[in-house]
Amino acid sequence: MSDHTDWPGREIGNQPEWTDQGDANRGHDEDAPVLVAVINNGRDLARARDEGWYRIPLKRAPRRVAAEYLAFYQTGAFGDQGCAINYYAPVRRFHLLTRAELLPNEADHPRARDPYYKIELGPLQPLPRPVPSRALRRIAFIPTTLRRLLAAREINDLWQRDDPQERLWLALREAGLLVEYRYQVSQPDGEAAVDFALFCRDGQIAVLCDDMASQEGALRERRPADYELTAAGWTVLRFSRSELEAELPRCAGAVIATVQQLGGQGGGVMRNE
Amino acid sequence: MRLGFSVKVIGQAGLKEHDSRRWQNNPHLSVSLAYLRDIFEYLRREGIAMYRMSSELAPYLTHPELSQFHGQLDDCAAELAAMGQLAREIGLRLSCHPSQYVVLNAPDEALAAKSALELATQAELLDRMGLDDEAVVVVHVGGIYEGREQARQRFVAAFEQLPEPARRRLALENDDTRFGVADTLWIHQQTGVRLVFDNLHHHCFNPQRMPLREALAACLATWPAGVRPKVHFSSPRTEMRIAEQQDPATGRRVQLLQPPLWTRHSDYIHPFEFIAFLREAAGLPPFDVMLEAKAKDLALLRLREDVQRYAPELAGGIW
Repeated sequence: MSDHTDWPGREIGNQPEWTDQGDANRGHDEDAPVLVAVINNGRDLARARDEGWYRIPLKRAPRRVAAEYLAFYQTGAFGDQGCAINYYAPVRRFHLLTRAELLPNEADHPRARDPYYKIELGPLQPLPRPVPSRALRRIAFIPTTLRRLLAAREINDLWQRDDPQERLWLALREAGLLVEYRYQVSQPDGEAAVDFALFCRDGQIAVLCDDMASQEGALRERRPADYELTAAGWTVLRFSRSELEAELPRCAGAVIATVQQLGGQGGGVMRNE
Repeated sequence: MRLGFSVKVIGQAGLKEHDSRRWQNNPHLSVSLAYLRDIFEYLRREGIAMYRMSSELAPYLTHPELSQFHGQLDDCAAELAAMGQLAREIGLRLSCHPSQYVVLNAPDEALAAKSALELATQAELLDRMGLDDEAVVVVHVGGIYEGREQARQRFVAAFEQLPEPARRRLALENDDTRFGVADTLWIHQQTGVRLVFDNLHHHCFNPQRMPLREALAACLATWPAGVRPKVHFSSPRTEMRIAEQQDPATGRRVQLLQPPLWTRHSDYIHPFEFIAFLREAAGLPPFDVMLEAKAKDLALLRLREDVQRYAPELAGGIW
């Protein structure tokens, strides 16, 4: 990784922006919502850094676009700094504009009349440590919190999980397993997500946690059926909330045993779909 | 009949209802409106057609010492209009219900003036969203102070002093301890203000013993033709309460179990009470129902299922 403090142009402070604004403003809301957005070119990062804004087309906006901070996942196009989140910034304001208003030099663009969010930002801050994507997976928007962002060791730490899921996640990590959270799997009628994916030498495991509170309401997104996953080559493990709450060691043990049956994880070699 | 819920979304984690940052961190109405967009999209996915917005969408908008926040309605004209457009696309009925600190009939002139300003800005916000006459700002009469008659009269006088948009948007709700439907009807006769009938409040405070159907019908009749009235419905909380007290002998805090207060809201709506209410209201003009339950949208979604299960003949008209 390059030196985060060595930016040209707009100054990037080493301290959070609120620390110089008086006593009443010390500290911050660790549960503040953060949206991790993807930046795949230097020009957009320069805009965020030097001009203090980022754009999201309304048509492609995630379900949760509102946040008090934006963090930037830089794709592989950034070389040494790529495939990681290195910076975040406080959100000042959301504007609704057309693309032509946002980028007047590109008024002939086919989407010139489409509505965009222009998100005004405060100064970019370097994270205490970059948050890499270990699996080099495809990243879209990730809603998270400031607490998770600042504490994350890798991308999978950012997602908010219900408590029983969180405990299973930690148990599997403590066992030394490499686990991908909310992994998208292709299905004949579109994409669906499994809660945890583990890639092994001789196969792949899909773990689904049922009856989680976050599956209420709109999070009742498409869940793949066991037979669909099996047909696609997955070994499926499904746990209910009550199982996870009452028998976590057994659930974690079942995952670990299945990893061993499938030849282990081969030194952390990951696979992308 | 549309069912609605108020402010906080529980069914999807992480949806905030407004920008709650402190003034030092520069909260902004535009960020609140982005939160609102996320909630509207959730309501669209769930097919929920009525929602009470946070009354704190525009942070510090009327704070006398923070003038840097006073221009937010102008500053966000485009975003407010866009949220109104989105609400119309979805078919959402919106409202707001300012906090208990808004007391229009307060004898303290400063508090009354601050309350009037708050109502005026809430009304302006709804106007700037381009919402129709179904979008209301719901308030209670306020305090009794030196006497019921004077308190009611003072509300009438304060109402008459409000700017036109606030008078047009205001709706008055009977409360559970001070001003019942007889009082709100009297105020309606003086001012023309629309009345929101609150079912639980009417059960808790109805000194005239006005039958529920009669009180409901009278409130519905205060709405102009072509504007669908709304009512509030909640179920009383029945659990034992845990109260903390200091033991005078030891000085320690001790927990005591106490019987419930019927004015408190339950987590979910009691389906049999609701179904009985609908049957009582049969034949009256159509209205929408704002549910006041602690489980919020989850209570709404459950109630739909309950009505379908226990009174399927009523379920077709509810969404």
